[in-house]
Amino acid sequence: MAFFTWNEMMPKVKTDLTRRHFLSNQAFGIGGLAFASLMQQDGLFAAPQKPPLQRRQFDLNPRAGQDAPKANAMISMFMQGGPSHMDLCDPKPELTRQHLKTFEGDIHFDNVVQKSRKLFAGPWQFKKYGECGMDFSELLPHHGAIADDICLIRSMQTGISGHETGISAMNTGRQRRGRPSMGSWLVYGLGSENANLPAYMVLRDSGSLPVLGAEMWQNTWLPSACAGTVVHAHEPRIANLQPPSGIPNSVQRRTLDLLEQINGEQLDRFPGEEEFAARMQTYRLAAGMQVAAREALDVSQETQETHRLYGIDDPTTQEFGTRCLIARRLVERGVRFIQVLSGDQHWDHHGGIVSSLPKTCFKVDKPAAALVTDLKRRGLLDTTLVHWGGEIGRLPVIQNESNIGRDHNGVGFSMWLAGGGIKAGHIHGETDELGHRAVTDVVTHYDFHATMFHLFGLDVDDVTYDRPSGSTSLTDGQPGKVVKGVLK
Amino acid sequence: MYTVRNQIICAARRMAPMWISLLGMLACADVNVHAEEAHAITFEEDVRPILKAHCWQCHGEEAELKGGFDTRLARFILRGGDSGTAVSKSGHKDSLIWQRIASGEMPPGPKRLSPEDTAMIAAWIDAGAGTLREEPESLVDEGHFTEEDRSHWSFQPVVRPAFPPIKGGSFIQSPIDMFILARLEAEGLSFSPMADKATLIRRLYINLLGLPPSPEAIERFLREDHPESYARLVEQLLTSPTYGERWARHWLDVAGYADSDGVTKRDTVRAWAFKYRDYVIDALNENKPWDEFLVEQLAGDELVSRPYRDLDSSEAQKLIATGFLRMSPDGTSGDVLDQELARNQAVAEVIKSVSTSLLGLSVGCAQCHSHRYDAISHTDYYRMRALFEPAYNWKDWRSPGARLISQWSAATEAEDTALQQEASALTENRDKELDEVAESIVQKRILELPEDIQEAARAARSTPADERTAEQSKIIEDHAFLKVTGASLQEIDGGAKNEIVEKWDPKIAEVNSRRPPRDYLMPLTEVAGSVPVTFLFNRGDHKQPQKEVLPGGLSIIAPPELNIPVDDPELPSTGRRLAYARYLTNGSHPLVARVLVNRIWMHHFGSALVSTPGDFGTQGERPSHPELLDWLAAEFVDSGWDLKHLHRLILCSTVYQQTAVRSDLLQRVDPENQLLGRMSVRRLESEVLRDSLLSLSGQLQQKMGGPAAPVSLDNVGQRVVVSRTQYDPSGRLLRDVESVGEDKYRRTIYIQVRRSLPLGILVPFDIPTLNPNCTKRTVSNNAPQSLQMMNDPFVIEQVNAIAARLIDEVGDDIPGQIARAWRLIIGKSPSKFQMENAIAFLSDLEFELRSEGDDDAPTTHQKALAQLCQALVASNGFLYVE
Repeated sequence: MAFFTWNEMMPKVKTDLTRRHFLSNQAFGIGGLAFASLMQQDGLFAAPQKPPLQRRQFDLNPRAGQDAPKANAMISMFMQGGPSHMDLCDPKPELTRQHLKTFEGDIHFDNVVQKSRKLFAGPWQFKKYGECGMDFSELLPHHGAIADDICLIRSMQTGISGHETGISAMNTGRQRRGRPSMGSWLVYGLGSENANLPAYMVLRDSGSLPVLGAEMWQNTWLPSACAGTVVHAHEPRIANLQPPSGIPNSVQRRTLDLLEQINGEQLDRFPGEEEFAARMQTYRLAAGMQVAAREALDVSQETQETHRLYGIDDPTTQEFGTRCLIARRLVERGVRFIQVLSGDQHWDHHGGIVSSLPKTCFKVDKPAAALVTDLKRRGLLDTTLVHWGGEIGRLPVIQNESNIGRDHNGVGFSMWLAGGGIKAGHIHGETDELGHRAVTDVVTHYDFHATMFHLFGLDVDDVTYDRPSGSTSLTDGQPGKVVKGVLK
Repeated sequence: MYTVRNQIICAARRMAPMWISLLGMLACADVNVHAEEAHAITFEEDVRPILKAHCWQCHGEEAELKGGFDTRLARFILRGGDSGTAVSKSGHKDSLIWQRIASGEMPPGPKRLSPEDTAMIAAWIDAGAGTLREEPESLVDEGHFTEEDRSHWSFQPVVRPAFPPIKGGSFIQSPIDMFILARLEAEGLSFSPMADKATLIRRLYINLLGLPPSPEAIERFLREDHPESYARLVEQLLTSPTYGERWARHWLDVAGYADSDGVTKRDTVRAWAFKYRDYVIDALNENKPWDEFLVEQLAGDELVSRPYRDLDSSEAQKLIATGFLRMSPDGTSGDVLDQELARNQAVAEVIKSVSTSLLGLSVGCAQCHSHRYDAISHTDYYRMRALFEPAYNWKDWRSPGARLISQWSAATEAEDTALQQEASALTENRDKELDEVAESIVQKRILELPEDIQEAARAARSTPADERTAEQSKIIEDHAFLKVTGASLQEIDGGAKNEIVEKWDPKIAEVNSRRPPRDYLMPLTEVAGSVPVTFLFNRGDHKQPQKEVLPGGLSIIAPPELNIPVDDPELPSTGRRLAYARYLTNGSHPLVARVLVNRIWMHHFGSALVSTPGDFGTQGERPSHPELLDWLAAEFVDSGWDLKHLHRLILCSTVYQQTAVRSDLLQRVDPENQLLGRMSVRRLESEVLRDSLLSLSGQLQQKMGGPAAPVSLDNVGQRVVVSRTQYDPSGRLLRDVESVGEDKYRRTIYIQVRRSLPLGILVPFDIPTLNPNCTKRTVSNNAPQSLQMMNDPFVIEQVNAIAARLIDEVGDDIPGQIARAWRLIIGKSPSKFQMENAIAFLSDLEFELRSEGDDDAPTTHQKALAQLCQALVASNGFLYVE
């Protein structure tokens, strides 16, 4: 049975968190604009009555899942390209022993031209960290500090070894393109906790976008309020947040009130036109964002110590660190789902891995660890699910003997989760002795999605959207199981 | 068994039209009632598609047959593989193929078959593992096409259908109404009422011209009380040259138009791409028949005799038309890691563009192996590639620059060469003089050195840098003036240098200014006499060529008589593309006309009859109105591929003129408006939004055609604006951008499409994603769009200009200003309530502005009026077309 559907929108609303409640408690005055319009809708300001045809619309009122949620927000650090798990967090002594010997098993090469069956052990030393004894190589030294806070999954497997298809699977549930992203499904299911910020924000890298481009955060057939809003890597991180010079705020507010009125009358003429209603919502959101988003994106309010923690004082980590810090600030302000992107193919080390992998790692290692540390010390980690991982892993054999790299691996890779009901200091699953294929406690992309939704108090199969062609969901009928082993 | 099949089918099949899935559900609920819908499970219809998608690559297609087991024919499956028989007579539980699948062992990896697919295989085995018909003796062409492949709906010939019977006749204004009404009536529905005239004129203007109607045009149309006034308006707009500018944009999306090469960071500008853009605009305005239009775009070069010199306008146009095949990203002139790969990628992009735009098929999927879902073989892909190989020969590549063809006549060429020589002679003289002066100064300065090193200094200076001894290098280092030449004369005597430069440079500049302006074409051409061989590449890898492949069409639909020559002796070129283009436009190709009319329909209604306009294959959606699609395709071809005829049929229909307001009934029965019982509201595309704002403010430039107005980052590097980037003489980027004057306000179609620098004002409202072309735009609705309408400098500039225009046109009459603002911006009159409200708004706002310290009465009023205009342009009434 569906949790709720478009045509019969009966969201379960927490009694203590009605929309009016959370609007009137906004720290910023602009919330009053939306508040006023809400009052109007309620007839308190004697606005014209809506005609009876007015249909129930999708809105972003916060909703709770059926079960007690562990998490209420999620940050996904998406490591596009495929981090080399056996060089970072899945040490394989057998691989070291068989270094440069021939791999005998079944293996799928994406790059057949440069393929080789010669096994390759990276030159990096591993160490055990934390009370749990989690292994990280010298490429992720800062991860050592969060070993006891995270759950490392070493048995990821999608069976898909391409970038586009792999990202589609990890981010939208299926390898086929053109489906809503997991963030959209989550926002669709749970709504927003802050009317002045988008519920789903994407902190993009300064380089080019991951290969899916803007499809990465699309809502497709879900209501448009479920799409991700892009935050750029450089100022202006969000364009046009600053009201035009020479126009006092009070004037803009009056103009927006007039707009609300004009649009309201238009909607009266077009009962049931969701698109019109949705755009009215985005204006209310945009009005609030002028203050709230500028404030939320302003990392200068953070202490020197915090800046140093995220590595913002170091050119190597400054860019990714700033975005991780922004992610934390957004979670604090009630943003539901935040995806922090790494650049296009950032982790795609087909060649020159010995020199290029460290560079990629050093950009990300310290900020990612800082995010967990910072969330924890602020008491936010318990309710925030943190994800770090890419769409594929890499093969234990050499690609291109003249300039050693590693090819794509869709049958075994690692990622980690933390917070939001995830078991801390735990390693889940195993790959085979060479790190090629996940063999124990295999976790698929749809298992990941089922687990993620479970932590939010939702059954992933119950968050459905009915289309004329049938009911749709994130896992799209694939048998996703909640991975009990990673839960607290 | 029937029950199983029905349940499986309704669960597993993706059936787009609502009524089909309803039917499926009924069949599930009550099998007996719909037993006639059911039939036996067969290999061809039910099992083969599953195996093709999941198993064939290892068990059939590749040279190495895994486990000695081939899954391409039922016969092979029954025979089994190395592990023995795959299917047991005692049922699916004892059959190895089912066991392996059900246990998750096959396919390897977590990509398991869905429970429905697994159940289907079980049911097939239990039903006796039958086939629909006898299987072929052998498999040719890596697999074979079954009857099911051949019977795919879009591969069937277009047959002009008879009009369906309908009950209510009074609604029929155009033949297409019959098809729409028949479906509506079947659902117990009918057409919605006609939209009012003010709505219709705005709908037509935005649709056909991409601009809103002027208040005067609206008033005139409202006053006209003539049965033909609507049809006359349609005619008037179809003959406006602005129509071509609007509709060209649709085709440029499909062609993947861009003014730069893409791929690399440099994103080299294609300075001559604009001629193709103008060609498309002209073709649409002239209503060039689309068969001719397509032939020219695919093979215009093959219609022009070589050498491509001294071309007349018609010949030049034919060459320019092939720019269609030059629009894809091409990184080969940039700094790419693997040049050969980049060339092959460029070719692959062209094939993608052509196949999605004209065939509505993702042929690109067959580059590495036969298409997983559609009946397109690996060889088919290379047949198609062979069409383009003589023009895109990766073994003998021409970079984008080398493909340009100068339009200069021999005389112009000679004239330019002479002037160039004249200029170089002057430059030489200047440099010689600089060198002489430098030399004489340096020689004098040497005499000022201590005598004991003068000789050594002279020797060091006259020795070339790489032959100097350590001692000589030291002397040069110690006395830097010894290095000075004419080019660096300013280091020792700036005055002398300036004097010489000022004497010569004006002369050089004068000569250069007389050189004729450059004029190039950017066509696709073949190299005379070159007939490269096309190979099938194993797994799409150009380093693994296998068998030789001849040019051809997709074998599933290619008629036996199709003859694509390898090298047509009658033509100076190979004739491959020309033959292919003529085949595509001969009127009996099942896809081309359907794909085109479907797209035209989409541009009129916002959604297409086949909602995946770039995919008419099995993974795409089915047509919502198959008979209508075929009727339109047949009518289009029979009319001589006359697009304006098609427009008239659609625009003058009742379907098109309905209101967009949804009735309660329609909302319940058909919320997504698939049955077209009303019009759908549509948001303005980003170009229309920009152009309309410029039109409202009166700043829109009327100039048509010509080179694109350039874009670059603004001075603070924050947004991409219409301006020219300046470079210093050494080619370094200067931050200061140069105004392009009135070109800033040209229509968006004339603004440069730089892949790496999308124009800032366009980005929030969804620009086409070119990978490599765009067959359907996304339409989003998000806060950055709202922020743009609230705060973007361009929007602010435009609303200020609109306010100034209103005051200019109306004078001090405030209600008059308000009424005109409404009419101008959203095409309607304000209601009495809106008028009163707006008057109050203006007076409140003026008070507010004055209290904020703004006490200049006229500008205060204008500012307030600009705010009113901004609320209107931000409103749904402006951003959407009803």
